[in-house]
Amino acid sequence: MRPDAYAITIILLAATVESGTILLFPIIGEIFTERSGILNLGIEGMMIIGALVGFVTAFITGQIYWAFFMGMLAGGLASLIHAFISITLRGNQVVSGLSLTIFGLGVTNFYGQEFVNLQLAHTVPQVIIPGLSQIPFFGPILFKQDYMVYLSYILVIITWFILFKTKVGIQLRAVGQNAQAADAMGVNVYKIRYFWTFFGGLMAGAGGAYLTLNCAPFWLDGITAGRGWVAIALVIFARWNPPYALIGAYLFGAINALQFQLQSMGTTIPSALLSMQPYFLTFILIIVATLLVKAKHIGVPKELGIPYAREEK
Amino acid sequence: MLKFEKRENIPLHLRILIPLISILLGVLIGGIAVMFSQVNPLTVYKAIFIGAFGSTYVFSETIVVAIPLLLISVGLILVFKMNYWNIGAYGQYIMGAIFSTYFALNSAETMSRSILLMMMCIAGMVGGALWALIPAALKAYWKVNEVITTLLLNYIALYILKFLMYGPWRNPRSFGFPLTKIFELNAQLPKLISHTRIHLGLIFGIVAAIIIWIIIKKTKFGYEIRVIGENEIAARYAGINIAKNIILAMVISGGLAGLAGMAQISGIIHMLQIEINPDYGYTAIIVAWLSGLNSLTAMIVSFFLGGLFAGASQIQMTMKVPIGIVGLIESSILFFLLGGAILTNYKLYYKGRKII
Repeated sequence: MRPDAYAITIILLAATVESGTILLFPIIGEIFTERSGILNLGIEGMMIIGALVGFVTAFITGQIYWAFFMGMLAGGLASLIHAFISITLRGNQVVSGLSLTIFGLGVTNFYGQEFVNLQLAHTVPQVIIPGLSQIPFFGPILFKQDYMVYLSYILVIITWFILFKTKVGIQLRAVGQNAQAADAMGVNVYKIRYFWTFFGGLMAGAGGAYLTLNCAPFWLDGITAGRGWVAIALVIFARWNPPYALIGAYLFGAINALQFQLQSMGTTIPSALLSMQPYFLTFILIIVATLLVKAKHIGVPKELGIPYAREEK
Repeated sequence: MLKFEKRENIPLHLRILIPLISILLGVLIGGIAVMFSQVNPLTVYKAIFIGAFGSTYVFSETIVVAIPLLLISVGLILVFKMNYWNIGAYGQYIMGAIFSTYFALNSAETMSRSILLMMMCIAGMVGGALWALIPAALKAYWKVNEVITTLLLNYIALYILKFLMYGPWRNPRSFGFPLTKIFELNAQLPKLISHTRIHLGLIFGIVAAIIIWIIIKKTKFGYEIRVIGENEIAARYAGINIAKNIILAMVISGGLAGLAGMAQISGIIHMLQIEINPDYGYTAIIVAWLSGLNSLTAMIVSFFLGGLFAGASQIQMTMKVPIGIVGLIESSILFFLLGGAILTNYKLYYKGRKII
């Protein structure tokens, strides 16, 4: 291996982690939303709302972390529309989620107009973790990142723990598998679904905000470019399990970083075909994942997308 | 406090009132959003209305937008009726445009106008249908989630279009712009009404709406679609071939979206370029849902949303109100419609007293 090839590999993989983190947040969020039985197809919409709110907050206040929080919160608030329609009013979740995406794209186009093409002066600062960043190869890839990336590592572990090792996780999974039985056990189905739908929104907002605060620190219409849909596909790839979400997100991140690198090196491959690769990869992944899920009998949350009506007579 | 009780049957007045009230409330939300950007919403709505219906010409432009919306939405209705999803009209529309352009670019000299246009229509439908066949087959045989596959294929189609436009199909005389050469007259859909841009596609749309209505109401295929939509397990027990119906409905729907793409480039744009308005594929979903999955009602709804779009395009230019207002209003209407649907299925009680 030539020395500069080693350096390029490190840069590429570090970019992979950054690019993957944009997706990792929303995937984890949607895993929990879907585990509770609510299908929220509005990730793209919530992400782009988070992206705009994060960008505008950072642009006006210059406070990156505050901006990240605001973007997250905005995504969470947007998810409540979907929660109200699908949980309280038992509306069609597929259409409601789509509608949330159209809403997000519309609202950000409408209010984002005056920010188009503006740039952030500062992006998310790098925070090098002493010690860990010295590990050969992995150190500079994983631990010369920023607080949001570190947050995502912790999140993967914590959410996995919550999902499989705590009572909260058992209740959550019960609600998604059989809401009526969970209700009979004294679990508040509505409350749990509201909470985890909101959590999904927070995470989608976080992913969007990370995009505009770090990876693409400017504002453009439709800047999320379908990442929300990729996230939904990768939830299936992750089999509703946070650690697998990490693999899916980084796979997407890798192909994204690679095509970006190739384009900037001036390859002869047409750029449209390179830009297509992340979507094409996701398309293949979802087919493979579906077949795997079926072969191994790993359960989709059984009541995913089915509204629960308590006082039905 | 609030209590719901299941209804036996849906009263007619609610079926009409709920969509109407949803539209009003959606427009109201749009107005509030406009107010936040320091513009008077009444002025905006008045301008949208005048921009959509105010003169013969803008009225014709409203119909121009309604044509693709109608063509796409009636196809979607077929799929949605089964409780399956085709979110890929965007990509199918692009593929229809690409396939038909092949003939427009290569056969304009050798074919007569009617033959060429017929070939372009067929090519457009085949392109859209093939692009829908992929997710349909994946769904029918492997149960791959069709919402996600159709959506991802939209992005793939867009990049195929970009590849062609920046590569093999770019007109060498377009000064580097990603455009094909302007289609010969042979490859242009005839106008229906002179001095407007209304083209033959309008007839395609109306015929398609009627055919889809007949399919759903009067044929065995339509009957099976309705049974699957109401109860798939029962349909399976009744021996209905679900895979076959998914594929057929998706392919018809993709074909119509492809035809819409063909009609747009052949009837309006007269060349292939990157901006060919595939977003109609998403708006058509709203048309289908607002029309209550009735293809005849879809004619009125496409006209209404066509007006909203045409009017908003006008004010984007004159009043600098961003086009995002359309998505905002559309999605608000849809939210109210989805939420309001509960009143068609349940009676509503507040503190023990019946409200609706």
